[in-house]
Amino acid sequence: MIHPIERKVLSENDRVAAGVRSRLEIVGTLTLNFIGSPGAGKTAFLERTLQLLPSGTSAAVLTGDIQTENDAIRLARHGFPVQQITTGGACHLDARMVESHLWEWRFKEFDYLFIENVGNLVCPTSYDLGEDGKVVVLSVAEGEDKPMKYPGIFRKAELMILNKVDLLPYVPFQPELACEYARTINPDIHIIQCSSLTGEGFGDWMAWLERRRIAKRHFSPNHEEAHLQTTFV
Amino acid sequence: MHEMGIACSILEAVERERIIHPGCRPTKVAVRIGRFAGVDGDSLQFCFDAMVAGSSQAPLELHVEAAENDELDIAWLELDELEAIQ
Ligand SMILES: Nc1nc2c(ncn2[C@@H]2O[C@H](COP(=O)(O)OP(=O)(O)O)[C@@H](O)[C@H]2O)c(=O)[nH]1
Ligand SMILES: [Mg+2]
Repeated sequence: MIHPIERKVLSENDRVAAGVRSRLEIVGTLTLNFIGSPGAGKTAFLERTLQLLPSGTSAAVLTGDIQTENDAIRLARHGFPVQQITTGGACHLDARMVESHLWEWRFKEFDYLFIENVGNLVCPTSYDLGEDGKVVVLSVAEGEDKPMKYPGIFRKAELMILNKVDLLPYVPFQPELACEYARTINPDIHIIQCSSLTGEGFGDWMAWLERRRIAKRHFSPNHEEAHLQTTFV
Repeated sequence: MHEMGIACSILEAVERERIIHPGCRPTKVAVRIGRFAGVDGDSLQFCFDAMVAGSSQAPLELHVEAAENDELDIAWLELDELEAIQ
């Protein structure tokens, strides 16, 4: 007897993620899930982002690794609340890990919640964390063809950060080709080229972030003042 | 790498179905994996078989169907009526 099921394999994760998403929706926190290989510069990128946030901005970071608190220590130097999620072996974060760490902050309102996923271009792709969007971080020393080799994450990300452009004089890497490959997989992907070392390209990124935050607040039930703000922009 | 976790989720779903259908034994479960799902079919098959072997769910087969997008769905389950087995 064949019994049709038609359920997502990760339906339990999706259920928890939906709960996280609706809580974050209520407080209007723009939540981004950063995915990239180990060493792509996710932590460096977030460190510079925290440094550049306008004063008065509230932000929090969850950073995932298999072992160590190193990234949390690096990120916490910038004066924002940070929690390390050590997965103890798992190659990705799941919605339950995010939910339990957000409870530590009582689902407090932040302008931004940045989630640095475990370094990996494959596994984190399947797990919804309740984020507003996925950001894939690719660095120039990794080769232009990564979007073709790991299409899943490039398909699901709304933004690609091409990091370490300061190294372009030293590595044979054609940024245009990498962008072309990414757009072959995902014609809608937005791409920002930057260097977390020199700060190049961060103007575009910070502007993108601010636009996304205002849009998010606009649709959040708790933020009348955001409605006024956007009306006059 | 995360195929072990995926296999685990499939086995949980099968277990849930077994409880919903008393008097039946699941013998085969089918999953649909899209090419952008980030899950490798062969690796999943390996993990699944390793987890089932020697467990109370054995024998249980995994059938993998390829799909186009980012699907990662359990499609169907084959159930045998217990009387029919004995
Ligand atoms: N030259 C250069 N190095 C970078 C840049 N971003 C990160 N790095 C270096 O790359 C290495 C890995 O960075 P990290 O932020 O730990 O990567 P993660 O594993 O993705 O979090 C570190 O040595 C960083 O200093 C960049 O834009 N330019
Ligand atoms: Mg890191």
